[in-house]
Amino acid sequence: MSTILEFRNLSFSLGPRLLLDRMSFAIDKQEMVALVGPNGVGKTTLLKLAARLLKATSGEILLDGKPLAAWSRKQLPRAVALVPQELEMPFHFPVEEIVAQGRVPYQPLFGTGTRADDDAVESAMQAVDILGLRKRAYSELSGGERQRVKIAIGLAQQAELMLLDEPTQHLDVGRQIELIALLRQLNQAGITIIAAVHDLNLVAENFSSTILLTPEPAWFAGSTPEVMHPDLLERAFSVGRSALASYCIEPPAGKFVQAW
Amino acid sequence: MSATGVLFQGLFRNPLADPFVLGTSGGAALGGAVGIFLIPTLSFAGFSATAVLAFCGSVLTMILVWYLARASGRFAMETLLLAGFAIGTMLNAATVVFELHEEASNSGLRVLAAWLHGQLGIPTWSQVGLLAPLVAISLLLALPVAGRLNTLALGEEYAAQLGVSVGRVRMATVILGSLLTAAAVSLGGLIGFVGLLVPHFLRLLIGPNHVRLLPAAALGGATFLVLADAFARTAFAPTEIPVGVFTAFLGGPAFLYLLNHRSRESRT
Repeated sequence: MSTILEFRNLSFSLGPRLLLDRMSFAIDKQEMVALVGPNGVGKTTLLKLAARLLKATSGEILLDGKPLAAWSRKQLPRAVALVPQELEMPFHFPVEEIVAQGRVPYQPLFGTGTRADDDAVESAMQAVDILGLRKRAYSELSGGERQRVKIAIGLAQQAELMLLDEPTQHLDVGRQIELIALLRQLNQAGITIIAAVHDLNLVAENFSSTILLTPEPAWFAGSTPEVMHPDLLERAFSVGRSALASYCIEPPAGKFVQAW
Repeated sequence: MSATGVLFQGLFRNPLADPFVLGTSGGAALGGAVGIFLIPTLSFAGFSATAVLAFCGSVLTMILVWYLARASGRFAMETLLLAGFAIGTMLNAATVVFELHEEASNSGLRVLAAWLHGQLGIPTWSQVGLLAPLVAISLLLALPVAGRLNTLALGEEYAAQLGVSVGRVRMATVILGSLLTAAAVSLGGLIGFVGLLVPHFLRLLIGPNHVRLLPAAALGGATFLVLADAFARTAFAPTEIPVGVFTAFLGGPAFLYLLNHRSRESRT
């Protein structure tokens, strides 16, 4: 299998604080990768770097073998879609017009959408099963429906690589399972997926590879069973092994849990 | 004015933005005051000095605010808004000082007060000849910008991710919006409400898509203003009340009704 995304000695500092330290790894096409680590460790930062919303302090990221910096403003969003954690919409934009924004990278400034644009929007909405919501305002939707709308924007971009920032956040168990099933389905259809996930149960069951970030900062990337090793998790989440083993869910980090 | 309201509300992703948020009203007011008090008889290409100076005042204010916001280092929309607010307030204060200073001579005060609240004169053909193309071209150029404002509604970062050059959209919006505002102010004075509420009115009727909203606002705002002006002239004849005062009286309740009606609708 060929590589889609490659990190080469990538470091990122936020002011004086080193967040990501010389990361080097490659992600193959059609992999399903979980991004795991405690809060504030740089998961969102890593995803934003991969979507070129942030610039690396040193090192580089290659997409399809080409440095991100060499991609044009319109070409990049056709290859990578970032599904952000939060989306706040002012005004009452209906769902179909929001999803249609995923076509902006394909449209010239002057001129209107083409037939291909309409088709892409339709099939994106169909893939995530939100055709029935098309006229509804985003602000009226539930958390699970909002996630689907955001994913539909990414699908309308027709990108082969989709980066998702905590797509299961704020969802109840049933919606979480539905959402992961949706991601697996998209993955089977050929889209490479990198998702920041907090629920370690979901990771073990659904993701072939895992990237683990720890606060030190250190990083581990590899197959999920390798990375989800109790030693590494203990180090990342600074919590006793027994707590991890019995719950397999990320407990709140810090002293409280250790005392408990 | 309504078109600018649409543009700015889209740019700031905030329904409370109006054409004057960036301080242009202060510049226009000061320009107008200078025109009324110092050189009331001067005119240029059919425009009174007031109109010309109000136009220049708003455009200059815009440029000043833009550069101040940029000089502050971190160019964010909040900086732009705050700079606009600060400059606008300063200029308004300057206008007041000016008014007080001129109080003795008094003759211009009433004229200024009426102008500040918006008053439509009958434009001469040379005024129309100059401003109509300016407005038409600005509106035409604003249409593709309005399309990008739809993307910007997702947030600046999201728009950037979708390949939108946020900086360029921002600059184009501010320039076009300011030109339109300046043109409107130079003819009609500071007419409130039209820029803020007409866009909302239309948004409730035809939805938030800026590409549809922009032309609708340009037409709707103009229609609304002409009607309001006709009423303002005749309702209390022979006293002619400033149309800006009238639009507030007429539009306020109508808008509140629609708002209430609509929110009840979406709840059911």
